[in-house]
Amino acid sequence: MEALLAAENLSKHYKDVVALNDVSFEISDGITGILGENGAGKSTAIKIFLGLLQPTSGSATILGENVSENILVRSRLGYMPEHDCLPSNVTAAEFLTHMAEVSGLPPAHARSRAADTLRHAGLFEERYRSMGGYSTGMKQRVKIAQALVHDPAIVLLDEPTAGLDPAGREEMLELVRKTHREFGISILFSSHLMADVERTCDRIVVLQGGQLVQSGEVKSFTEETETVFIEVDSNRDELVTALEKRGVSVTADVGGLYVEGSDETVYDHVRDALVEAESPLRRMGPRRRALTEIFEREGDDFSGLTKGVES
Amino acid sequence: MTTPGNSVEGQRGESSRAAEGTVFDIGYQHYDGPREGRNRARLSVFKDGLKVSLGLGRGPKSKILPWMFIGVLVLVALIMALVAGAGDRLVGDGTAEALDLPSHSDFYGIASIILFVFAAISAPELLCPDRRDGVINLYLARPLTGSDYIVARWFSFFTVMLLVVWLPQIILLTGLAMGDPKPSDYLTENWLDIPRFLGAGAAIAAYTTTLAMLTAGFTTRRAYASAFLVGLFVITTPFTTGLAAEIGGTTGQWISMFNLSNIPVHVNDVIFREASEVTAHAPAANFDNWILVSWFFAWTLVPAGILWSRYRRLSP
Repeated sequence: MEALLAAENLSKHYKDVVALNDVSFEISDGITGILGENGAGKSTAIKIFLGLLQPTSGSATILGENVSENILVRSRLGYMPEHDCLPSNVTAAEFLTHMAEVSGLPPAHARSRAADTLRHAGLFEERYRSMGGYSTGMKQRVKIAQALVHDPAIVLLDEPTAGLDPAGREEMLELVRKTHREFGISILFSSHLMADVERTCDRIVVLQGGQLVQSGEVKSFTEETETVFIEVDSNRDELVTALEKRGVSVTADVGGLYVEGSDETVYDHVRDALVEAESPLRRMGPRRRALTEIFEREGDDFSGLTKGVES
Repeated sequence: MTTPGNSVEGQRGESSRAAEGTVFDIGYQHYDGPREGRNRARLSVFKDGLKVSLGLGRGPKSKILPWMFIGVLVLVALIMALVAGAGDRLVGDGTAEALDLPSHSDFYGIASIILFVFAAISAPELLCPDRRDGVINLYLARPLTGSDYIVARWFSFFTVMLLVVWLPQIILLTGLAMGDPKPSDYLTENWLDIPRFLGAGAAIAAYTTTLAMLTAGFTTRRAYASAFLVGLFVITTPFTTGLAAEIGGTTGQWISMFNLSNIPVHVNDVIFREASEVTAHAPAANFDNWILVSWFFAWTLVPAGILWSRYRRLSP
């Protein structure tokens, strides 16, 4: 698959501070997360790809072009910055129309795209209200809408869930997933929240201190474990008793039960125990490891992962 | 993709059935229309600047200040036209000229302080909020450079200033022509005033636009920029006038050159080949025309260069 975005030996120094150090990776179609702590170099990488910063060395190409050399590539890019970027005294409809025009769309097309994009972002009813009165969640939606209004081939989202409450965060992640799944737009998603990246992205690039420490498919990091996860609607305690009676090691948390064992006899014991306890089964399957567990296992920070860099 | 299952039909009576419509959720549509690149981006920033400056498409509060200033300037022109016209009609043809009543060559001098205050209040609105709210980050991530942005914004406000300086002069011309017993004769005799007030107006517009935009380019707070500019224009006049009169001689003349309000009015005087009422007694007016014009260009082009240089390197 052709790379939509590629970094090759990319470095960026601010005097004595190294923001990016010899970073190389490629991103193809799908949702890719750039994961890293604050100051890891995520925003710097995004700004270099957009041509807003010049790299100290190396190259960054997006859609096969270096943006610094061909600014018109930006007509096919969307960018959602981390920080505030919305004027307060303008309506969302007017703002998006203007942003579409600045991306190169003629006025009539820009107006139509603005209305459509606000509808997809769930702001159609609010489009003629000044944005100063919007909630944080609504502002985040306008921010992502302005990145999509000109139908880009790829959007770069810088910490899109920053400042959102859990419900707003969930809505934003759903909008990000929808942007790729339904709109067919590829996404580069920067975040320091592993759970957001794990739940939303197909691939991750992990940066720490300006260096690439991991990259690859999310599912390759969250491989199946030898634990079976079970979730039932009722009779949980009876099920635990029935499993323990069969000599199966079981632990429980608020989410469900975890049964240790890789061989198929474990599933037979679970089946029999479910029958005995008369527990309605909601969900069962091998448990996948969470990204957070990987980082916790390797230490309190990302440093333990430097061994696993993929070229 | 059409999904009739998602249709929403109006719940109206038989009488309005003809007006009923059906809304379909056609899903996300990719855009395959024209993409006009950098020129469209520049034009859009330019148009947006016009709207911001004049409060168009904004609430009533945004319209009050610009249109109040335009109204005052038009009123000044109307009064000048009425006085001259009344003199000619009531006392006799040529009275206005004989009494040396203010005309086109005097208008910019008389109105200069209003023009400067208008620029000081309105121009920062084009630059300060974009940086304060972070909108500049979105502009620079599109097919638009920092240079494109600042040039488009400069031309926006320059266009507004042209409207503000030319409109009263056109009204004054119309009033003076209508006040003459033979309007066509008035236009034939005074047609040269038209290119002169257009040229002098363009000089004033370029000068005020550049200084106001430069100040706005260094702060994210519109109020700071406005207060600084008003102070600059208002304070330099009594300060330089007093000091120039005290010192006298060539030094006094040069001090008088730093009266920022008078710099474009001297160009107006050069164009009209007569001193306006405001600059007639300024020591700087005794300098050769080329010095006055060069001084004007220095005070316009150097700030423009600094402004351009600042935005050319701007990054989010």
